[in-house]
Amino acid sequence: MNTQSTGIQPSLRVPGTLLILGLAIELISLLWNKPLAFILFAFAGGAFLVAGILLYLYSLVSAHG
Amino acid sequence: MQLPTPGALLIALLLVSLVLIAIVVFRPAITNSREGKILAFLAFLILPVLCMAWGASEHIDRSKQTQFCLSCHVMEPYGKSLYVDDPGYVPAAHYQNHRIPVEEACYTCHTDYALYGSLRAKMEGLQHIYVQYLGTIPKKITLFKPYNNRECLHCHLGARSFESNPVHQAIMDSIKSNQMSCITSGCHDTVHNVASQDHVKFWSPVQ
Repeated sequence: MNTQSTGIQPSLRVPGTLLILGLAIELISLLWNKPLAFILFAFAGGAFLVAGILLYLYSLVSAHG
Repeated sequence: MQLPTPGALLIALLLVSLVLIAIVVFRPAITNSREGKILAFLAFLILPVLCMAWGASEHIDRSKQTQFCLSCHVMEPYGKSLYVDDPGYVPAAHYQNHRIPVEEACYTCHTDYALYGSLRAKMEGLQHIYVQYLGTIPKKITLFKPYNNRECLHCHLGARSFESNPVHQAIMDSIKSNQMSCITSGCHDTVHNVASQDHVKFWSPVQ
């Protein structure tokens, strides 16, 4: 199987890692019933997720550009 | 059979998303196929967006819980005031007689406050968190703005006992327009009164 056929695979590692971190933070924030959990969710988890999604979209655009 | 709570479903969705993303990250070759690309699109875009939106909704729902408000040390006296053994204390009488939902007692009477209200109210809520963790908590806690009669009227307006009261009838326009406050105009002015807690008796629920 040719793993380089689309050119997007290596660039999935970084957005994937960011998304895993973001989702893990969101998971922790949901298990923690304190006001600080909302800050953790919105700012730390949200930042990782938004960065991961944007990098993924960029990898799609750059692979087909 | 008991259905899982929305919170449990969200945690399940987060775990599924984590697994799918991990599959794509550790087995990138699967994105060579059309199905693999669809899986990656689902795992890298659709599911994270869904988790963020659902998570925000869940956090805002949780912030309505009495337990959430009282989790800050500074709010403890206000929670204690709900158990004052005196029907003249407005919050205590409402709480103890279940005139308001006990799980969302704070939110029911402070709907425009902190994270529950407008964008400005949400910013004020973040200010609370800042003060709680990084700032200096003032000795006397006050509302950001005067208590709005709307918080009382969203239940009492239209209620027979409220509207048939001759005092209320005489000043109804002033009540509705907030010109006369329900709680600071000498009518129902015994609210939390945390400063005088050393001199009152407390009610202990049986359960």
